[in-house]
Amino acid sequence: MWYRSASFILDKQQEENDAEGKPESRLLSTASPSSSMADTLQNPNPQISAYYQTRAAHHGVVTTDWLAQAQAAVGRDPDDGVSEISIISTDSGKQLSVIDEFNNWRKQPDLAEAVAAIRALAWVIRSSEATTMMELEIELKKASDSLKSWDTTSISLTAGCDLFMRYVTRTSALEYEDFNSAKSRLLERAEKFGEISYKARKIIAMLSQDFIFDGCTILVHGFSRVVLEVLKTASQSRKLFRVLCTEGRPDRTGLRLSNELAKLDVPVKLLIDSAVAYSMDEVDMIFVGADGVVESGGIINMMGTYQIALVAKSMNKPVYVAAESYKFARLYPLDQKDMVPALRPIDFGVPIPSKVEVETSARDYTPPQYLTLLFTDLGVLTPSVVSDELIQLYL
Amino acid sequence: MPDTHALVNEFVIKLKKRKVEGSKATAKLTAELLRSVISQQRIPHTNQAVALIDAIKSVGEQLIAANPVERDGDKVTAAKVQGFMRTGGVGLWEEATGGREKEREDGDSFGELAVGNIVRRVLHIIREEDLSLTTAAIGGLSLSAVSDDEDDVEQDGHPVLSAAAVAAAARSTLRPPSLQTLLEDLPHSAAAPPTSSSGGDSDGKSKSADKSSRSRKLKHNVIEAVNELIQDIATCHEQIAEQAVEHIHQNEVILTLGSSITVIEFLCAAKEKKRSFRVFVAEGAPRYQGHVLAKELVARGLQTTVITDSAVFAMISRVNMVIVGAHAVMANGGIIAPVGLNMVALAAQRHAVPFVVLAGIHKLCPLYPHNPEVLLNELKSPSELLDFGEFSDCLDFGSGTGYPLLHVVNPAFDYVPPKLVSLFITDTGGHNASYMYRLIADYYSADDFVVQRRPS
Repeated sequence: MWYRSASFILDKQQEENDAEGKPESRLLSTASPSSSMADTLQNPNPQISAYYQTRAAHHGVVTTDWLAQAQAAVGRDPDDGVSEISIISTDSGKQLSVIDEFNNWRKQPDLAEAVAAIRALAWVIRSSEATTMMELEIELKKASDSLKSWDTTSISLTAGCDLFMRYVTRTSALEYEDFNSAKSRLLERAEKFGEISYKARKIIAMLSQDFIFDGCTILVHGFSRVVLEVLKTASQSRKLFRVLCTEGRPDRTGLRLSNELAKLDVPVKLLIDSAVAYSMDEVDMIFVGADGVVESGGIINMMGTYQIALVAKSMNKPVYVAAESYKFARLYPLDQKDMVPALRPIDFGVPIPSKVEVETSARDYTPPQYLTLLFTDLGVLTPSVVSDELIQLYL
Repeated sequence: MPDTHALVNEFVIKLKKRKVEGSKATAKLTAELLRSVISQQRIPHTNQAVALIDAIKSVGEQLIAANPVERDGDKVTAAKVQGFMRTGGVGLWEEATGGREKEREDGDSFGELAVGNIVRRVLHIIREEDLSLTTAAIGGLSLSAVSDDEDDVEQDGHPVLSAAAVAAAARSTLRPPSLQTLLEDLPHSAAAPPTSSSGGDSDGKSKSADKSSRSRKLKHNVIEAVNELIQDIATCHEQIAEQAVEHIHQNEVILTLGSSITVIEFLCAAKEKKRSFRVFVAEGAPRYQGHVLAKELVARGLQTTVITDSAVFAMISRVNMVIVGAHAVMANGGIIAPVGLNMVALAAQRHAVPFVVLAGIHKLCPLYPHNPEVLLNELKSPSELLDFGEFSDCLDFGSGTGYPLLHVVNPAFDYVPPKLVSLFITDTGGHNASYMYRLIADYYSADDFVVQRRPS
């Protein structure tokens, strides 16, 4: 694999770092933190993706030992943070508490990741003692950098931070105001963002209604709030359709979705992840959510999306992606391994001998040529529009 | 308004009887009709843009409703055909016919797409003109308001935006939503400065003196812009034909199917510029428009070969480029084209021959082909396929089962997916299929995509 991906250099560096037992200080933007500080600023368990842990906690059908495992990983950090907050300097204390703030928001299952990020940044603005726009910007930048490096696996966290930073630095409406009103405007926008995200889901659901026709069979993969909203709206407008749910191993998020759909009286059938190709011939369209939409127009989503898209392509079925526009991220993965690895534990039910390696990556990258259309709150887009939108924003 | 009623009704009847043929003619007539509606519309002093938009919308609704595909009889047939095409399962057939009630309700109408396109274009024009007037007015207003600004901040408690900021925000309302405006959009409805562009109360503050002049100005500007649109529709062939020499090279072999005025003009323009090339014309059954095209081309001195539609695959390996016209271009870059073209496109793809589509900008449609087999097709009379009496004993309704064993289906259109189209040539130049959304964003505003109010 290494000869195809430029990222192998990065990967190697990381491996070396890990081997020496050094903390991954390259991820931190703060200037040379002392070793004790670096420990507290870091994700308590870099081996496991915090993003996917949260997802599993919210949406997965959780087995008891997996829950214990997850709690052991998550539960450690707030205590650590609180105990050490008094010791370390105020500057890093602030960064630490941004992360706390973010984690608090993140725990709410209905709140999107990007919303949590923006709420956390709003908290920074509120508690800031800056007196000029420039100071505030620098403070925000620091906070967003530390947030981003705390969980590099969450794409919508990064995208949300970037979007808000862009708003702070670019918006023309802010140029003409004095500092205090600008500050209150920023706060107001940050508060509203939750509403925007909620509204985005509604818009996407409305847009996709025309594509769901009576008598169709829809295949969904994993649990996505947007996709659930789409299907909910369709069943509320009395459309007749059938849903095939994949199981979504290992956190079994598909089971959760099938539960929700059964509550709505939608006929639903559960598949194991490997039965996708077998049942593809009775499927009319595929609906998936996305963890992130990248610059090429492809998506990064839960493991298994790529192979579903491949099967769908070879059987000429349309693949629709439902994703809010704040998930558009400035990434351009060249292949599957060209991403920050997001790992999660997998419960096989039987003990695995230590010599056997386990692929624990939680997500894959689906290139744009396998996607038909993206439903976003900006409208129904072809994959090539995504790069256009991102260029407009970040040029 | 009573005068325009008659005009509208007349046009609706023409559409229903299909007296108007071809999307160009339809587009032109629609634009002219809407122009006269606008000029006859009496405009109130406030909310002029809204009044105009409402008027156009109600007329547009009537025109779109006149479209023949939406009516019951055809719908049933279309649903039936779809049912039969799907593996012939009885259950599926029932599903398809059972679902038709729903389809009629929420499917946007598709018959003559050009009508809807023009209605949307005109709506967009009104919004645009209104906006440019409003921003100009704010520019003037801000001069007088600047002195009060300081007090306002303290009195009102909510932050007051300066004129430039409001203007910037107003400009963003017409643009399609983008990531850039994601965070910006809302406060203008919440903090509500009284100038919210096309929203409605656009001139709450403006002095009554310039009201009358402004209302006349809006109407004048809109009519001017609609005139430009009509002009554009009339001259789109020439603008497309101008690009012909860039695409057709010496001694090439061009294949086309059926007949399209745009294609004739395009080929002739290349011929006039002293390019010598050969044309294969597939005859385009069952209407045999290809024969007409062949005669026309021969009259202009082009080397022409007529082939049957079924010979397309046999000949495609000798062809350098396929050039065809389209009925409509959908938002995803797929095209609705005369029947048979999907086959040509597939043959062209098989042999890596460029498949070029010529389309005037009025054929651009901001809708997605949700379910092309059912919604986008028009079923024509079977008389084009069969002579009267030829199959009459097979079509006997009196025979045992209650319905005839023989069905004759004569669909007018094919849907060609975007991946089969190599290039679109419009009056603004050549475009890739994935670029179509951009043109749509330029020419239509997102609010107008659904002209018909849905029954809720």
